[in-house]
Amino acid sequence: MRIFRRRRQFESEMDAELRFHLEAYVNDLVRSGVERKEAERRGRLEFGATESIKDECRQAWGLQQIDELRADLRLTFRTIRRNPGFAAIAILSLALGIGANSAIFGLIDAVMLRELPVRDPGGLLFVQTAGTSGHDGPPYPFYELLRDRASSYQAIGAYSASDMELLIDGGREQAHGIGVSGNFFDILGVPPVIGRTLTPSDDAAVLISRAFWQRRFGEDPAILGRTLQMFDRTVTIVGVMPSEVMSLERGSPVDIAVPITLSDAARLRSRDALWVAIIARLKPGVQPEQASAEADVLFQSYMADVRVLPQVRKMLFDHIDLTPAAKGFNSLRTRFSQPLIALMILAGLVLMAACVNVANLMLARAAARQRDFAVRLAIGAGRGRLIRQTLTEALVLVGAGSALGIALAKQGETALAAFFGEGRNQIVLDLSLDWRILLFTLAVGIFTGLAFGILPALQASRTDPAAGLQSGSRSVAGSPISVRISHGLVILQVALSTLLLAGAGLFIRSLQQLESVDLGFTREGILTMEVKPPRDMAGNPQWLTAQQEILDRVAAMPGVRAATWATTTPLSGRGRGALLEVPGFAARSENDKDVHMAAVSPQYFEIFGIPRLIGRTFTPRDDSSAPKVAILNETAARFYFGNASPIGKKVRFANYPTHDLVYEIIGVVKDTKHDSVRDQTSRYIYLPIPQYVERLNRLVLAVRCAGVASVFASPVRHEIQSVSSTLVTDNVTTVENQVRQSLTSERLVTALSSAFGFLALILACSGLYGILAYAVTRRTSEIGIRMALGATKGETVWLILRQALILAACGIGIGAPVVFVLGRISRTLLYGVGSFDLTAFGGALLVLLVCAGIAAIVPARRASRLDPISALRCE
Amino acid sequence: MKKQVELVQGTLDMLILKAVSLGGLHGYGVLLRLQQLTGGRLQIQQGSLYPALYRLERQGLVASEWGESDNKRKAKFYTLTGAGKKQLKAEEKSWNRFSTVVASVLDAVPEGS
Repeated sequence: MRIFRRRRQFESEMDAELRFHLEAYVNDLVRSGVERKEAERRGRLEFGATESIKDECRQAWGLQQIDELRADLRLTFRTIRRNPGFAAIAILSLALGIGANSAIFGLIDAVMLRELPVRDPGGLLFVQTAGTSGHDGPPYPFYELLRDRASSYQAIGAYSASDMELLIDGGREQAHGIGVSGNFFDILGVPPVIGRTLTPSDDAAVLISRAFWQRRFGEDPAILGRTLQMFDRTVTIVGVMPSEVMSLERGSPVDIAVPITLSDAARLRSRDALWVAIIARLKPGVQPEQASAEADVLFQSYMADVRVLPQVRKMLFDHIDLTPAAKGFNSLRTRFSQPLIALMILAGLVLMAACVNVANLMLARAAARQRDFAVRLAIGAGRGRLIRQTLTEALVLVGAGSALGIALAKQGETALAAFFGEGRNQIVLDLSLDWRILLFTLAVGIFTGLAFGILPALQASRTDPAAGLQSGSRSVAGSPISVRISHGLVILQVALSTLLLAGAGLFIRSLQQLESVDLGFTREGILTMEVKPPRDMAGNPQWLTAQQEILDRVAAMPGVRAATWATTTPLSGRGRGALLEVPGFAARSENDKDVHMAAVSPQYFEIFGIPRLIGRTFTPRDDSSAPKVAILNETAARFYFGNASPIGKKVRFANYPTHDLVYEIIGVVKDTKHDSVRDQTSRYIYLPIPQYVERLNRLVLAVRCAGVASVFASPVRHEIQSVSSTLVTDNVTTVENQVRQSLTSERLVTALSSAFGFLALILACSGLYGILAYAVTRRTSEIGIRMALGATKGETVWLILRQALILAACGIGIGAPVVFVLGRISRTLLYGVGSFDLTAFGGALLVLLVCAGIAAIVPARRASRLDPISALRCE
Repeated sequence: MKKQVELVQGTLDMLILKAVSLGGLHGYGVLLRLQQLTGGRLQIQQGSLYPALYRLERQGLVASEWGESDNKRKAKFYTLTGAGKKQLKAEEKSWNRFSTVVASVLDAVPEGS
């Protein structure tokens, strides 16, 4: 708008200036005795042609470009208005292509790229212990040592996220909590929404997140100063923090932040427990290497009096490493980066298909406008202007497409967020549009516009004015070159959809394989929930009694077949490892001692349908006073004992050097999948709950129900409450759900790649339809002659159908080898299918050919219904 | 009547800069001053001053401002900018060099005469 206003001002000023000149000159002439009329005539003559001078002035001022752009835009909008169907199809296909890209990029941005919204995120570092098994947070006492002694750091803070129990107005609740050192939020540099943050001297003050404030307290303005019970003491809410910066874990929301010093005292003192993460900022001018070296010296001296096995030391406590914390601690990144990149590639292919589609449309239209171009060339327009005109048109289409695309992407992302937002480990992504996404869309848009605009533009500039003016528009449009180009484009479209459909086929097959994997346990009809006793109950025999009472009561409920306790259930995302020493088994490395460990009730194996292979399973007599017994899974039994029977053998847990934990093997059960459906089965050892290696402050109750399991959730909870109202139940779900959620990224990839394949298919078919319909028009007289010479309707249909099939076959031929390459690249994402799966590829081909046939049928029928007489007359 | 001189290509800009350098002028004033300085011998199409002035202003060599002319009319006045001064000096220098060189060629007399 401002440009236009300035433009008007420029015109009026120029006008005034030139008029002033003329009048002044005429007045001077009059003064020197010339008659006014004559003076005016001479003035105009000597001044020169005003309009052309004005034009030169405009050019000198650099305005011509803008003027031409305005003319181009005007023309573009006029042509769009005149042919809204074309514009609608073009804009819609672009919007779908661009929208798909923006949506996926938005996910990538949220999961992988975005930095934390804190002050100077680049200066934020994690201080971690490192070893052969990766990075982890150092023990808490080392944090204190570093905080008090290190001189390279401006500030050092600690935090640890965990579920916490709150008593609000007498009601017991569960919340996602984080224990933080007093300076934590100062280090992040984030001000509170209201109230204040924590200080190092706080020991009974807590902060809540804005989301929790809204959800739990209805945004109560009198929230500050409110008290609640946590960790057996009264704490006061002193501030509300922005939800995004309550923790550094991306995607895991935190409700409440408490002083880390409130954590379990034994835990705080433990010199080898890894449960906190440390963040720090360096003093200005200090190099990270320097700071890391200083921390390492302190760490080595710290480790001198920590008792861990040398192997464990090497695995976990080898040295100190500083890692950038700008993007937070992001387990999502590792989990989703590969699938997201694969999806980005697929989305790119969809966009390419959309580009090709629009290019073809524009080409057809440019051909139809050949005469128009020829006229413009003939009256002196430069070829450059014609190219610019066509590109302007392309960019206007792309602009509209991008705007619509962003709107679609927003919608799409809400749907995508639903994929992440289910289950125990809910992932909450911040999918708001930011400059990065907008910039990405803009770049994609411009690139797209140029990509599909360039061909028609060149085509337009090649117009031969003489030929274009002489002949009718149809014969020019049918020039062999442009027909060949648009055939090429349709073939490319078919190739792209072959690629996307076959890709989707691969992912669908892979997901099918994953879903039909023999998990080794029954997934149907099992309800699970986590139950936590209050702290004083956990180490108490009263807890064991309560467990038994709950089992009895739940099992007696109508519709419930059986119930069991367990420390973990398969594919719940929880697990516990241990180091096992087996007499007579020579471990080649520490890894050989790794086993998964679970404590379960006697009914566990029956409820999960895990068959016993040899020996016996647990009974109620295997209690805390009975001899310690254990059950191995098949893999563990074979690994440690080969073909010999493990029954009666004694094994020892090596990672509890203080107790002597020796268990006798009493049975072997079949393998089950535990961590993920894809995994190799790991070695497993089961213990009876009363004989577990440490006290249990959290157990899972698994209930086998008749019918839909989730229906039983609230009655079962009710039973638990009636046994003891102090028990907290949480994470109620079904095993079936957990299995499904363990395949989130696979389901995401499958759903999206199918959608993309479908999109590409529609684009290819519309392209095919367009070209065939056009061919029928172009060949009307030829078809007329054929019919006049006795061609049957069937033969005419075949004439058109054959063209469709040839085009489709060419596209498929080009796409097929690329499918193979793409399959190989995405090998790690696939499960149980080769990179060239015949079913997937065959399915894709079938779908393509059928759709190509459908696209061809309408033009083909039109051809067969041509009246030979009028067809011949029409030229 | 005095003999008229056609403008050498590309010198109009330099002449305008010179005219403006002697004090702020409106477009018509530039024309008058040039005619006065050349004693009316220079032939310029009056209108052609303006594209040149616009170009110079675009290049930042002159600046313009609306003001009042001698007979109380609104007019656009041009003044030389710092960059314009430098440019004028450079062009004067190169013009002088050019004319000396051309003159020395034209002054050459046939050998032996």
